[in-house]
Amino acid sequence: MRALLALTVFGGGIAQVTLAPALRIGVVTPDIPLIIVVLLALRRGAETGCLAGAVVGLMQDVAGGGLLGVQALTKALVGFVIGAAAPRLSVTQPLVQVPGLVLLSVAEALARFALLKVFHFPVAFGELMTYVVLPQALYNGFIGAVLALGLAWVEAYRRRVS
Amino acid sequence: MKIRRLTLLGSVAGLCLLLLSLQTRGHASGAADALARVTVPVQSGVAAVNRAAHGVWATYLDWKNVRGENRRLREENRQLRVESLWVSETTEENLRLRRLLALHDRLPVPTMAGEVIAREWGGWVRSLTVNRGRADQVARLTAVISPEGLVGRVVEVRPGASIVQVLTDPASTVGAHVVRTRTAGIVEGEPRGTIRFKYLAREGGGIQAGDLVVTAGLSGVFPRGIPIGRVTAIDDRGSALFHYAQLAPLVDFARIDEVLLVTGERMQDLTAFFPGGSER
Repeated sequence: MRALLALTVFGGGIAQVTLAPALRIGVVTPDIPLIIVVLLALRRGAETGCLAGAVVGLMQDVAGGGLLGVQALTKALVGFVIGAAAPRLSVTQPLVQVPGLVLLSVAEALARFALLKVFHFPVAFGELMTYVVLPQALYNGFIGAVLALGLAWVEAYRRRVS
Repeated sequence: MKIRRLTLLGSVAGLCLLLLSLQTRGHASGAADALARVTVPVQSGVAAVNRAAHGVWATYLDWKNVRGENRRLREENRQLRVESLWVSETTEENLRLRRLLALHDRLPVPTMAGEVIAREWGGWVRSLTVNRGRADQVARLTAVISPEGLVGRVVEVRPGASIVQVLTDPASTVGAHVVRTRTAGIVEGEPRGTIRFKYLAREGGGIQAGDLVVTAGLSGVFPRGIPIGRVTAIDDRGSALFHYAQLAPLVDFARIDEVLLVTGERMQDLTAFFPGGSER
């Protein structure tokens, strides 16, 4: 199970640099690692979410060539928070999943922006939100809902078979 | 449990912040390099797989496009073939009509163009139906010709059409002579769809294969000098009164589509107005 977990996390990081460009709509690409972190945190809890977020975020930092640790920290935080809140959340409906992922994406972006500002990140907030964060958040919500529905279907199928 | 979680979060956050602060001082390149050593080969491998998958997908799309294009081109090719046939058919018709018009213009007798609308090719009767009839003042026994030569005569006139007995009809007889030798005789149709020239033996000396046979113009039905056919073989019957020569008709009765009906004076000599008329 741990191997599968590691594979999922690692695969998510790799998918961001290989699969995500193929899913591009205009200039907007989904943040696949974030979606994976959220899905893992909801199912496995805060620790798994936190570790998965750190690993996958670090991979993104390495792949992106920016400051190491920024995305590792923000995704670890997202994973942790979602994992900790999961028992109190009801996220089985797409109507919850889509806005939830959108909000989480925005929150992660805000955290990342705040952290980067400490290191004198030069881009204006409004511009970043308009052209990068919000479109990507919406796309994340859509992809996340599709993935969540797919997982739910697979689980239902496995239950029926077993 | 809660402490463990918070410890984990603190460790992760601390590690990240440490990395960040080290980078600002220019000391974290080693860590980035170490991580890259792990991730870059995997990324390269996955990218290769990704490229291959893209290649397969692109090949599939190409194949699909090629199939669609192939279908479209086949359809286009079919349409073009039909158009080409139509154009060649129209060109041929144009050519035939031009030749018919040229004949119509150069002949000194009035003629009327007609289109073959039916053929009777059973063997008992060989005839053509032409779209000129009583309304066009077509008379019975009107001579029917084409740019190649004699076709036959009108044997029946109907309101909108005429029936033309062609030379190969077994009941058809036409007074004729050989252009080169002036040998007179009768061209008869045969049941097998051929024509023969029947002539008196004593007059037949010197007829050769290839000789042109034209109408004699004695009966008043056909003008003189319309080509009928060429001698292909001589049937010498020794001391018999009549000899026969097999003729190859100049007109292809099975394929002729347009004809001229000679409506006026039939006593003129038309030898000079057809090809081969000056072979004497």
